[in-house]
Amino acid sequence: MKLTELFQKKTFVITGEVGPVKGCSRLNGGPPPDYIQEALNIKDHVHAVNVTDNQGAAMRLGALAASVLTKQFGLEPIFQITCRDRNRLAIQSDLLAACTLGIDNVLCLTGDHIKIGDHKSAKPVFDIDSVQMLKIAAGLNAGQDMMGNQLSQATNLALGAAANPNFEPLDLQIIKMEKKVAAGCEFFQTQPVYEPRKFEMFMKKVERLGVPVMFGMVVIKSPGMATFINENVTGITVPEAWTNQMAGVPKADYKKKATAMTIELLKEIAPMCQGIHFMPFGWSDIIPEVLDAIRPYFPQ
Amino acid sequence: MIGTTKKPLEEIFQAVDGYAKIAVVGCDGCAKVCMTGGLDQVHELAAQLKEQGKEITLEVSPERTCNIMHARNFLTPVKDQIAAADAVIVLGCGGAVQITRQTTEELGLTIPVKVGLDSVGHMDMVIPGVMAMEQCQECGQCILNETGGICPVTKCAKSLLNGPCGGSENGKCEVDPNRDCAWVLIYNRMAALGELERLQRYMAPKDYSKMSKPRVLYIKEGRCA
Ligand code: SF4
Ligand code: SF4
Repeated sequence: MKLTELFQKKTFVITGEVGPVKGCSRLNGGPPPDYIQEALNIKDHVHAVNVTDNQGAAMRLGALAASVLTKQFGLEPIFQITCRDRNRLAIQSDLLAACTLGIDNVLCLTGDHIKIGDHKSAKPVFDIDSVQMLKIAAGLNAGQDMMGNQLSQATNLALGAAANPNFEPLDLQIIKMEKKVAAGCEFFQTQPVYEPRKFEMFMKKVERLGVPVMFGMVVIKSPGMATFINENVTGITVPEAWTNQMAGVPKADYKKKATAMTIELLKEIAPMCQGIHFMPFGWSDIIPEVLDAIRPYFPQ
Repeated sequence: MIGTTKKPLEEIFQAVDGYAKIAVVGCDGCAKVCMTGGLDQVHELAAQLKEQGKEITLEVSPERTCNIMHARNFLTPVKDQIAAADAVIVLGCGGAVQITRQTTEELGLTIPVKVGLDSVGHMDMVIPGVMAMEQCQECGQCILNETGGICPVTKCAKSLLNGPCGGSENGKCEVDPNRDCAWVLIYNRMAALGELERLQRYMAPKDYSKMSKPRVLYIKEGRCA
């Protein structure tokens, strides 16, 4: 099911995330692999799950294969596709392949640079950028490849993109988002923000774009994780106040504390946006509790 | 200019292994500026090769070795010293090496021509004698008019044409926190020029056929193909 249909029905959309592993996932009749099992645990609580594409530029099982597998286990995948490893032929070909294999949603991303991954000597592709990819994907939906050649069958994909409310200067981020919308983007998923006022300011600026925005929520599991993100993950900042609050409880209570803090944040955030994208990194079991607590705050 | 760095000495010794007599040819153009292949470095390498027991038949540094005219003018008068060598080693960019090879062939010599430097790109000197920076990849379709005179093809690690990626933080690039994010530089420049609306335009994918190798420049026709 396309996410756009949910947004049209004014559904507050909840998504999770599946990170394919470094390894093959041939099932041979066995149970679902762990990374899919984690998503299956929250199957009844989410509308769809993102399937990441060689995340962190580390080589893994392909996002398209993992998306198809995810779908076979009854979850709705959002196939993440990046510009890092594919030229324009490969991107179009993979979008056709995705639709052919039953994928309804794609998230068109630039992709982390090769240099931060585990194959640092590889040749980065970046033949096109995410705005161009969205335009090309919209063209495939309209029955044409990027050179204007007619397709025997058009794709029918809901097109998503990423946005970063932490970006400074924010107006530069907004310019890029405007371009993405003009190119065909139908929904956004954001990077996490831990300051509601910052997100509010961002939402005020993007409201006029008329495209649903899903707030990205990375659950901070420990003060150490916050430090790691601040030091190693560009584009996301965990404020000191957030880290200190977590550091104030015994280690055994981190999960309880993280759940409570996530709920408090999302109570403020939910009324401002059209959905939440959870990146729980192993703690998907807290999502049902979080959702129960914040449901009254979903916008009507 | 073309940026060059010195190859490790062991690699050079390996390249000339088995050749007793060596002609050392530098370049008094870009390699001299990079302090990798001017006459000083030619003498330095010649001395190091002598310590290895090699005999040096020639030490020269043409004004711009990548230009066949200069290479001919310089190397034709010393043909005998080249002919006396078992190998030539060039302290120049990859182009200088190939033009030197062409010159030796024109002179009727069949002699191995080796390279002593690594070529590292088209570099612009931003701090004289200290730092040069890659700012243009000669993409064949310059878009600097749209980007405030700052090249995203080269200075953005991902060559993004329509704005920054999500990894930019504090104005720095996700790939290297010591390097400015090209798109923040472009934004600030366009803001200063009062031309931000130009950034709203969609930039189509680049025509990489204009970069397909090897390109040939037809100077009289003013055309590259
Ligand atoms: S756009 Fe950049 S790479 Fe292309 S010619 Fe201009 S400066 Fe060089
Ligand atoms: S941080 Fe800036 S310069 Fe670096 S890859 Fe992203 S957009 Fe390009």
